Amino acid sequence: MRFALLREPLFQFLVLGGALFGLFHLVDGRKAERPARIVISSARIANLADGFARTWQRPPGTEELQGLVDDYIRDEVFYREGRAAGLDRDDVIIRRRVRQKMEFSAEDATVPEPSEAQLAAYLEANPERFKSEDHFTFRQIFLSATRRATTIDGDSKRVANALTGADAAIDATALGDAFLLGEEFQAVSPQEVASVFGDGFAKRISVMEPGRWQGPVPSSFGQHFVYISERIPGGVPPLDAVRQAVRREWSNARRLEAEQKLYASLRERYEIVVEMPPARSAQIDGAAQIDRSTQIQTSR
Amino acid sequence: MTMPTLQRTSFTVLLATGLAAPLAANFSVPAFAADPAVTTDIGTLDQETAEKAFPARPPYSPYAGRNFPTRPFFGDTHLHTSFSMDAGAFGARLGPRDAYRFAKGEEVIASSGQHAKLSRPLDFLVVTDHSDGMGFFPQLMSADPALLATPQGRKWYDEINSGKGAVAAVDIITSFGKGQLPKGFPTPGTPAYRSAWRETIKAAEEANDPGRFTAFIGYEWTSNAGGNNLHRNVIWRDNGAKASLIEPFTTQPPLGSPNPRDLWKWMAMCEEKTGAEILALAHNGNLSNGRMFPIVESFTGKRIDREYAENRTRWEPLYEATQIKGDGETHPFLSPNDEFANFERWDKGNLDLTELKKPEMLEFEYARSALKNGLKMEAELGVNPYKFGLVGSTDAHTGLAAVEEDNFFGKTSSSEPSPERATHPFVKTDKAVIMGWEQTASGYAAVWATENTREAIFDAMKRRETYATTGPRMIVRFFGGWDFEASDANNRMPAKIGYTKGVPMGGDLSNAPNGKSPSFLVAALKDPIGANLDRIQVIKGWLGKDGQTQERIYDVAVSGDRKIDADGRSKTPVGNTVDIPNATWTNTIGAGEMITVWKDPDFDPALRAFYYVRVIEIPTPRWTAYDAKYFGVTMPKEAPMTTTERAYTSPIWYTP
Repeated sequence: MRFALLREPLFQFLVLGGALFGLFHLVDGRKAERPARIVISSARIANLADGFARTWQRPPGTEELQGLVDDYIRDEVFYREGRAAGLDRDDVIIRRRVRQKMEFSAEDATVPEPSEAQLAAYLEANPERFKSEDHFTFRQIFLSATRRATTIDGDSKRVANALTGADAAIDATALGDAFLLGEEFQAVSPQEVASVFGDGFAKRISVMEPGRWQGPVPSSFGQHFVYISERIPGGVPPLDAVRQAVRREWSNARRLEAEQKLYASLRERYEIVVEMPPARSAQIDGAAQIDRSTQIQTSR
Repeated sequence: MTMPTLQRTSFTVLLATGLAAPLAANFSVPAFAADPAVTTDIGTLDQETAEKAFPARPPYSPYAGRNFPTRPFFGDTHLHTSFSMDAGAFGARLGPRDAYRFAKGEEVIASSGQHAKLSRPLDFLVVTDHSDGMGFFPQLMSADPALLATPQGRKWYDEINSGKGAVAAVDIITSFGKGQLPKGFPTPGTPAYRSAWRETIKAAEEANDPGRFTAFIGYEWTSNAGGNNLHRNVIWRDNGAKASLIEPFTTQPPLGSPNPRDLWKWMAMCEEKTGAEILALAHNGNLSNGRMFPIVESFTGKRIDREYAENRTRWEPLYEATQIKGDGETHPFLSPNDEFANFERWDKGNLDLTELKKPEMLEFEYARSALKNGLKMEAELGVNPYKFGLVGSTDAHTGLAAVEEDNFFGKTSSSEPSPERATHPFVKTDKAVIMGWEQTASGYAAVWATENTREAIFDAMKRRETYATTGPRMIVRFFGGWDFEASDANNRMPAKIGYTKGVPMGGDLSNAPNGKSPSFLVAALKDPIGANLDRIQVIKGWLGKDGQTQERIYDVAVSGDRKIDADGRSKTPVGNTVDIPNATWTNTIGAGEMITVWKDPDFDPALRAFYYVRVIEIPTPRWTAYDAKYFGVTMPKEAPMTTTERAYTSPIWYTP
């Protein structure tokens, strides 16, 4: 019901009319004073033109520029008058925006280029973030469940026997079926193996010893015998290999730190008195909820 | 360039690189690849120059001087986050950063508060927020004074904060459609807009991890004239340094335009002025009411001309043929003899259901009919405007590229998993209703790129070496040439023989050797954690002597002991193992893999034609079945409970 009323054009008209009336009254009171000046500096105009050019990669034409300037003047007039009328005070929206700008200003403060030593120290302190997985190079002999619907178990045993004691050089062609993605996989990570063969397969071969044929390892395609010729151990790479990622993480950490520092230093200037009312659970719930959404917003 | 040249080129490469190297191509991914700028190659620039000079010429061999792709990369070219105003209005709170994290396989908290994680990571993602009003929602929610000073802005803000987000959402979208937006609405050049675009770029730059995960920079140009969907996604090959030199093109005059011709002009200008390389792909022709693939342009009422054709084919190498708002391959009205055509249809009207669909519109909406009309236009104009490859993508507005049937997070944040989502109307006007259950858990883009980097994936998209899937990650190979023989299907290196003897999906054939018909090496491997395959089909379209287009479907491989009849069809269905109440199925029917060589039995070297592959999975539970089971709800009778997932490859064209 209440919302239906809000949508009534007559109601909206009345509210709007009332607001305008109030505003005119305020404005009217100051009419007699000398008109204030609004100067649109050439720097401001260049700034407006810049914005236009960013889209079109060409400067605005005379008329377009005039339009931009007119609009800016309109902005400025309303902005000043609104502030003069005190419309900015106690407005949660403006408070929030100003707070956000403060937070951004900490973020925007130019983070200096990290030194070599700083990067190295950061990598050493946060190795987990940059660690790479083990990689494998392996060949497979594939027994297709589709092609060998009824014989696959027997075939698998025969292959296992043939492979006993065999090395990588064995001619796998004679033993298995063609696999659409091939027989040899070089320097693949467990994640890549999983994307082709499934998770279970990747887990099995991750723990296999290199240097001999092993299997069968089942997948949803059939059975596989695997010869790992090389395991490239993962671990924390040298700084040179991850310099960009380390720099990114380092800068990010610095940014967060700067914001926190700014807040701490500003907060120090205040003596804070919280007059907590007797707990009312419903209100606190509500507050927590609002807090969460705010946080999500500002985290962008 | 002629076919024999192409063959020779790829063959030389193979000889030069040997056998193991090509196999290793994708997998010899260094853990920490070099800076993307270093991996830049200038081949594509050459290609473009060449295409401009000789538009009828087939793409140059993409394999010269490098290895061929050994595995496809799966991703989403079309995902919205809270930066898109409509997504935000529907409750999306996840931004581009969250979207990339989710695509990389990390667990995130969805906007509805539920934990969400993919079954396995994607290989790439493009966050494509709407260019109009980009960042509007974060701006509104952070209570931007300029915006809140407007009655509309204030009203929306209050509505959303008092739990009336849906009311606000509808109002926001309707106002946008009518061009009635409040002052302070972010347009290019305003600080809010710039900051949103900068954030978008920053999120992609941070998420991009060459060799492991590709985060493209992009946006959606959402032309919606009269509620008719002409949307395009724009993707950068380059990094943030180039993308931040410019701000996206919008559809609202005076800065933007709803006419694709203006988008193409902007793209040309962008490439020229910033040195970037970009491409665009359209989607949801099914909601364009006959305007997506026009023969007569809706903006001028005139037949499309050579300039339109050249630009469209230059800038739009791909089409998004399947997504949450329905499948766009073909329609039963257009393909009456195709028993798989009636799939996830959204054919009630245009995007906002302000205008109902008429049958005569369909021809200009679906991929297959557009490919056919492209042949016709090529005969008329000398350029084929609709020579596009196919991908699928989600178009989710949740920040979550989650379209697995058992892990479907819906189109908008209000359609994230809940007991009611299927039975709530999705779009409702006085003309028609689309219900929640009609959302399609689809799709992804598969790209045969040489490595997982922006450059390699972008280049593969440009040469159309891609296919669409409706969600599963089946692997599909498709090569066309003149010399494939039945024994090639038993070759141990299908990829090697394919690239040696022919061209891959997206490629061209011409100069038919005397008396020869084109032959194709076709193969598919099921998703390692998915369902078996029912069949592989080749779909042929051609332009007859009488100037009329034709289409025909051939079953080229079927599972089990079913037979393919003399007419090239196998009419026996594969069967159905789906247990709907329990939302399960078994792989006791179908095949895990299929490979064959197929020769066109009806080839006429004088006629233009295209061929593409469709792979059909065995029936599996649709997301509605998983929802019914999980939430213990009953679905409406008309809601399908099973689906047949599928893949569509880019065509191979034959030009006399």
